[in-house]
Amino acid sequence: MGALLWYIPAPLLLLLVGVLVRRGAYRTFPFFFTYVAFGAAADVTRFLTQGHHSLYFWIYWLTDAGYALLGALAMYELLRKVLRGFSHIWWTHLIFPAVVTVGLSIWRMHVVPPQLQGPLRLWIVTGEIAVRIVQVFIFAGLVTFIGFFGFRWRQYPLGIAAGFGVYSTVALLTTIKFSDFGTRFRFLWDATSVVAYSFAVLIWIGFFFVPEKEEPPPNPETLAFALGTLNQYLDRLRRMR
Amino acid sequence: MLSSILIWLLLAWSALGLMYFLYRACARVPRHDPKNLVHYLHPVDWDLLESLLDPAADFELRWRLSPREFREEQRCRMRLFRELLRRMSHNSAVLAEFDNALFGKDDFTPGPGSKVEEAAIKVRLYCTAARIKLRVWLSLPDTLRAVPMPDLARLRMAADLDGPKVYEELKAAAVEAFADLQPAELDALTRNL
Repeated sequence: MGALLWYIPAPLLLLLVGVLVRRGAYRTFPFFFTYVAFGAAADVTRFLTQGHHSLYFWIYWLTDAGYALLGALAMYELLRKVLRGFSHIWWTHLIFPAVVTVGLSIWRMHVVPPQLQGPLRLWIVTGEIAVRIVQVFIFAGLVTFIGFFGFRWRQYPLGIAAGFGVYSTVALLTTIKFSDFGTRFRFLWDATSVVAYSFAVLIWIGFFFVPEKEEPPPNPETLAFALGTLNQYLDRLRRMR
Repeated sequence: MLSSILIWLLLAWSALGLMYFLYRACARVPRHDPKNLVHYLHPVDWDLLESLLDPAADFELRWRLSPREFREEQRCRMRLFRELLRRMSHNSAVLAEFDNALFGKDDFTPGPGSKVEEAAIKVRLYCTAARIKLRVWLSLPDTLRAVPMPDLARLRMAADLDGPKVYEELKAAAVEAFADLQPAELDALTRNL
């Protein structure tokens, strides 16, 4: 039961890869597409190697590091998409590094679980949790930003952020509780993580299932008339000054 | 201890955000008739805006008035500018909402949806930053004479954005987006922005 539970998201991820390919998301969101494709491949590889303990150990930790790295890159990508109109404003380029610094700082302040042996695993777990904090931060920040500035809600970056937000919120919550309760909490931790991740993948599927809208080009005649009217007003204003 | 508190605050913020997100994602986009757009807009007096942000006006007032009179006059001008900012911010929100309602429908976009939306966000960002500055300036007690009264022209730029320029961009984007309106309606739209 426990082993099977881990592989529930794999078919969902494969479905998501199909949906993303159909929507051409590898062009618009290359890092997110890589993250999803990597996730599907990692799940399948873990499933195939679970009988070989030594191999499984390395594949598990290496794919975990890959998840963290690609997750961070996907967040960077979606933040750049949302802020693409503000790229000329210098301080918008500092948002992502600032969020990453805050995420790392918060987690470094936290107690590191002593059960982890070896610096590599410690770094992977620390990095992974820092990325979770970054994902929660960016999701919560985006919702606040979009709500405040009246952005369109139905846009892919927000869907991507929502999926990461749901999973990372639950993952952080269970990690904190896990460090409080210890190994007694193991099964519940596994189950909630898998359910949250599956829910996140369902959110992504739901968002990317709806086709992207291309803005129709305005009628050239009416556009010329409208711009003429605007220019008349601007001329009058200039003359009045 | 501090990190635990911060993580819990972050989680609570995210949970609230998630609930709000689900509510907004499921809610229907409000339907609007483009003919009604003009009635929602608050006219912005462009001449007044330019005169308030004119460095020469600040200089002339400083030269002509006593320090006490200048402080009073400058506070009045700040309140006036705050009202213009409120209108600009309101108009940008209205235009973004109408643009979303008329052209957004239920489709998804790979980022901020349209020129109007992008320009509206710049205007709102500018207005928010400028209003925060104004709030700070206006909250300084009048008796605090040691702090020099700032020039209003400095508020042309806020959050690294040129206010009048981004509002012009919003106007142009709105004219382009609502180009299918009747000539009289388009005329009214241009006048009311």
